[in-house]
Amino acid sequence: MSRAKLRGLGIDLPLFPVTSVGSFPKPDFLLKARADYANNRIRRGALEKAERQATEFWIRKQEELGVDVLVDGEMYRGDMVAYFAESLEGFEEGGLVRSYGNRYYHKPIITGEIHWDEPITLEWWKYARGITSKPLKGMLTGPYTIMDWSFVEYYPDRRTACLALAKELRNEVEALIAEGAKIIQIDEPAISVRPEELPVAIEATHIMTDGLPAYFISHICYGAFENIYPGMLDLPVDNFDLEMSNSGLDMLELFKRRSYTKDISFGVVDSHSHLIEDDPTVEQRLRQALEVLPKEAVWVDPDCGLKTRTVDEAIAKMQAVVNGAKALRAVTSDK
Amino acid sequence: MELALCNHSSYPRIGDDPEHQLLRRTLAQHDKGEKTEEAVRAAQDRMTELALAEQTEAGLDLVTDGQIRWADPISHLAGKLSGVRVNGLVRFFDTNFYFRQPVAQGRPERREPLLLEEFKFAQEKSARPVKAVLTGPYTLARFSVGENGGSGSFEKMLEGYTAALAAEIAALAAAGATVIQIEEPALLKYPEDFPRFEQCLSALAMSKDSSQLALAIYFGDPAALYDQLQTLPVDILGLDFTYSPGLVDRVISSGTARILMLGLVDGRNTRLEDPAATTRQLEKLARGAGLNRAYLSPSCGLEYLPRDRARQKLKQLAVIRNTFLGSPS
Repeated sequence: MSRAKLRGLGIDLPLFPVTSVGSFPKPDFLLKARADYANNRIRRGALEKAERQATEFWIRKQEELGVDVLVDGEMYRGDMVAYFAESLEGFEEGGLVRSYGNRYYHKPIITGEIHWDEPITLEWWKYARGITSKPLKGMLTGPYTIMDWSFVEYYPDRRTACLALAKELRNEVEALIAEGAKIIQIDEPAISVRPEELPVAIEATHIMTDGLPAYFISHICYGAFENIYPGMLDLPVDNFDLEMSNSGLDMLELFKRRSYTKDISFGVVDSHSHLIEDDPTVEQRLRQALEVLPKEAVWVDPDCGLKTRTVDEAIAKMQAVVNGAKALRAVTSDK
Repeated sequence: MELALCNHSSYPRIGDDPEHQLLRRTLAQHDKGEKTEEAVRAAQDRMTELALAEQTEAGLDLVTDGQIRWADPISHLAGKLSGVRVNGLVRFFDTNFYFRQPVAQGRPERREPLLLEEFKFAQEKSARPVKAVLTGPYTLARFSVGENGGSGSFEKMLEGYTAALAAEIAALAAAGATVIQIEEPALLKYPEDFPRFEQCLSALAMSKDSSQLALAIYFGDPAALYDQLQTLPVDILGLDFTYSPGLVDRVISSGTARILMLGLVDGRNTRLEDPAATTRQLEKLARGAGLNRAYLSPSCGLEYLPRDRARQKLKQLAVIRNTFLGSPS
């Protein structure tokens, strides 16, 4: 059904389309530029030039590897929530809180009414779109995750804050669609940690997507999927991009018990490991997927964003993903 | 009602000004080989002293060391036991904080004190009594995995963690800890395991000597378990009121045989509580449940907040108490 939707949008993809979750590691020259900018050694324009160079690097690299649906690589982002919080009215940067060990981040605080003034990701999407002819995903962090990873002061409760975010972020989705985005990914890694709030996330996603002409993907990771499945199937998206390999493909057991009804971007390499999966391992994971899922529904990608890997590791992991998809295409009928 | 103020457990070990970044800086330099273990310890000591001072200044009656030295609530204890190695990162409940998961190769064993020196240091430096805080055996076992899997792993881990923590409680009690808090947030995820949990708590309670044993339950709604929690052999019961609009009524309906640590101040959100609204809850509890004595505390550790907000939350405890004491009841 979703393949027909894609064709209706003018996108014809091969069997087992290859994509990636969103982020790629920043090349050394960009890391240096970011450090220089933070220390007032270069101006904003010089940083943006480096971000464009890095974006082009990853666009070219995805094309060379044979990726079917590209991403811009998020070279311009730091944290996936802070990036949006900094661009929306109603947020303040909070003080440092710890994420783990000796790592800390500035957790945003919602201190006022949230308002979307202007497009946040659009210029980067347009830049990337201008340098490739391949389909390119529009990418944004979802309202539930932005709410959950922020402190909520202004709104009376979490649901109200989440729905307010959804209403405003819909403007971003509409802006992307107006410029030609056909595939839009809404990242919701926080969605599985409070199963009792799944209805809030579903309501918010309806606000973001209802009536809009695009193929929607939602990326979910690092959670107790067993607590939200099959309820998560009520999220109004076409494709779930799921971290499968990191958990030993255990989601497949859930799918056996209760049919999975959407397309899936099936994570075949572990994004959080330095080890590069070999081709037989990736192929085997895909074969296991096909024991449970219809082949028309399966996209292939890494478990999660690859930004924590080195550039070489990220390229090697994407190569393994592409090789796995090609191997399966060669032995699987498209009829 | 006599109302004492206490910290829950953790306190931010970082702040936005350079003085409060000492530990982060030192650890980063240590990782590069530029600072010694002694320098790290000195930075931990300094940040612990600052945490103690900020709690005292806020007017707390019972403070903690802020768990400044803890990498996380799980590996800081489990990682010191023999038969346990520490592995990759796992999300801690519904927070955006990650801990390193213990991998147990059989039954964990305590070969050396876990927190004793940290407690002694805090007690020596603090102007107020210091509460010792330990993550409980059930939560440690639930967040650990066995090296070889198998159905026996969880039982063995639970037995080992329980024995290790019982020995630690005995050592802390001997060192003069007047209140020892066991943190067991995992119980709320596995309420069906209550009988097994009760056995663990009973084993720990046998080691407490003359100290008071506190049980802290948080990150979930404890209302359904409330009557069972009242049967546990603890002196103080710490409850998180932020997940359950009905918990106040539940406490009033059943009463309490324990001193309650009332987690009415949200340790997970920066918004400051309205003193009048919280006072109304306190009055309702005092009158309805017939409380003679209670602690007022944050709902959980304060490490999930930026330092300035954590400090404000502690000060708000005192504002709420003043409002409560000044109220007609």
